[in-house]
Amino acid sequence: MAERGEADFNDILDDWFIESLKTYKDLHVYQLEHPTQVIEWTSGKTVCVAGYSSSKNEIIELQLPLKLFAEENKGLCAERDFKVVHGGFTESPVRCLRHVPGTRCVVTNDGLTSDLQVWTVGGDDSDVIRRTGSVAGRKTRRKKSDSEGGSRIAARHSSQVLHGAQSDDIQLTQLTSGQILYTPEITSSDPLSSLQFVSDDVFLAGCCNGNVYIADTRASASPQLSPAPPGESVLWWTDAAAGASSGSFIRVSSSGLAEISDLRNPGAAVSRAQLSVQSRRCNPGDVTVSWAPALNDCIAVSGFSGLVQIYNTSGWGAELQEVQPLFEHRGHAVSSQSDEGDVFATSQLWHPERPRTLLSAASDGSVHVWDWVDQSDADR
Amino acid sequence: MMCIKQIFSRTHRLKVGQVLGAAFTSSRCFHGEQQVSRESSALPIIHHSRYVCDLPPNHRFPMGKFPRVLHFLIKDQVITEEQVWVPEIASKELLSCVHTEEYLNDFFNGKINEQEQRRTGFPWSEGIVRRCRYETGGTVLAAEVALQRGLACSTAGGTHHAFPSYGSGYCLLNDLAVAAKYLMGVSSHKRKILIVDLDVHQGDGTAFIFKEEPCVFTFSVHCGKNFPLHKQQSDLDISLDDGMEDKEYLSTVETHLPLLLETFRPDLVLYDAGVDPHWEDELGRLRLTDQGLYQRDLYVMKTVVSRGVPVAAVIGGGYSRDDDKLALRHSILHRAATQVWRDCGM
Repeated sequence: MAERGEADFNDILDDWFIESLKTYKDLHVYQLEHPTQVIEWTSGKTVCVAGYSSSKNEIIELQLPLKLFAEENKGLCAERDFKVVHGGFTESPVRCLRHVPGTRCVVTNDGLTSDLQVWTVGGDDSDVIRRTGSVAGRKTRRKKSDSEGGSRIAARHSSQVLHGAQSDDIQLTQLTSGQILYTPEITSSDPLSSLQFVSDDVFLAGCCNGNVYIADTRASASPQLSPAPPGESVLWWTDAAAGASSGSFIRVSSSGLAEISDLRNPGAAVSRAQLSVQSRRCNPGDVTVSWAPALNDCIAVSGFSGLVQIYNTSGWGAELQEVQPLFEHRGHAVSSQSDEGDVFATSQLWHPERPRTLLSAASDGSVHVWDWVDQSDADR
Repeated sequence: MMCIKQIFSRTHRLKVGQVLGAAFTSSRCFHGEQQVSRESSALPIIHHSRYVCDLPPNHRFPMGKFPRVLHFLIKDQVITEEQVWVPEIASKELLSCVHTEEYLNDFFNGKINEQEQRRTGFPWSEGIVRRCRYETGGTVLAAEVALQRGLACSTAGGTHHAFPSYGSGYCLLNDLAVAAKYLMGVSSHKRKILIVDLDVHQGDGTAFIFKEEPCVFTFSVHCGKNFPLHKQQSDLDISLDDGMEDKEYLSTVETHLPLLLETFRPDLVLYDAGVDPHWEDELGRLRLTDQGLYQRDLYVMKTVVSRGVPVAAVIGGGYSRDDDKLALRHSILHRAATQVWRDCGM
């Protein structure tokens, strides 16, 4: 009976609500009309998300519930909902989205070509996100049949954007002039899974095959290569710590193997672990791994299922061991009414300052912001 | 959205104060710890120091609010210690008029499994069992005293999410249901009880318990989007949209209460004056102010009392990380009741 089904589902949601009172300091949920694969901070209280369907998609700037930030007087703030503050449309999917620091611009890539689209968010009392430019990707395809694949993007000061789809077509472009400022000397052509600045001038290029290049935009010397961990060829995702665990970078494979290395000695692995994830057939864009900016040694992982997991890596050793997550956000899995089978977490993002606050999105269009309680922490 | 479940019949209405028959124990023998004749002719306040128990550190439930409600009422000279009646702990026998034997045994003996505990929001402990029994005893005593004096308020109560065989949403025993069932009696002249539940969460447990009972009318005004999402069917449910403010809220209550009193003709009203419709409440999604809560409580109690119907009030739900602020908000009920006591020359 349809009625009973709804009652049962409501029961599940009610159970989850009561449980969440204990497991979270704050939890706010929002439902997008279409799911997003990207979440990016555009200010201290706003994020940008965008759809990834094959046809028309929305790009939306969301303001987080202000209640989340009302530290002293939680109750005083009635604003407990997300709010759409700016919006725009794009004809293609959005597979990568980055905010250009110090500006009201975001840069996107559709996952199909290596070209970037530049957008301006609002301005002049407008609530529109409009297309204001583009950046051509470097095309080094030798064979026309090679698909370019999507570009990864990293943005830094002075409106400079680092982008590329493969390890041999990375370039640093000045957005305002279109001038290409730097290209690393990399000859191998590995599809990229991430590009990331770890300091003003040093960046990491994580490849899908597990290779990681470390380069300095000031130096003309070839970038350092940290080769992929040995083993069967799988997909790898990389993240470098810029905040709390600065100096480390982590690689996670599609079978849940995780390896941490030090930027100063990238050839060797410092520690490793087997994460508690269901390994599944992944696409390059499925998994997100990120270091906590304000919580030592912690990483967040999503994309293997509907869960977002937090791991504390401080206990990991050189010998491979199975590890359990410090915390699991079950919200997307529990509250999904998806008819198309299981729901998957598509992305997660740490708050830059609040140690345990994250945003997460899932394939059913849900977007959550949550501040979890560390159960092992008796005297907070 | 309104649902009136049944058309109530006009049974013979019993006048307050009339001797009601052998089924009831002597009106002097309350479920109170001290059987002294009360010198105080002021508003009866029902309170027990054991309304509280220890909870794990950082537990979300604002247990600290219970003693603080009394503290502020005395400090602000709204009441004196002499007005305080102390309830007995609710016996298993008393509780069994609503709860199943099996649940009570498991509950008393700590046999509530992990999953069931999770749904209640409380880890089991002997302390929690004891405090829930005192709280229920308090509501029963409030109802008994109200029958004699016309008006009484507890400094706890309103655990309306408890079902006969399980607890839910910070409620382990249904105090309003136990009080209603007990005061209803078993004779051919059953009392009629109207439960007015203005907590922001639907009184789902109470609605379920009295679904088939014509002598108890359950009336709940709540926010549709608040817990529980799986709603039961009260005799009258008013489901409100998010964000409603004082004026519209009060108007909603004013639309329904007099009509219910007129048609159902209760012999006793049990009033759940939950403060979680307040805009500062962490869980509630409405926007009432302190003034709005005061006007609401004043309106409900005055309307009932001026028709000669006794009313027993409980504090209901409220959620805040600041126990003192929350306790002050709960004390609005007792301040309004004091005003009613004065205005109605009780």
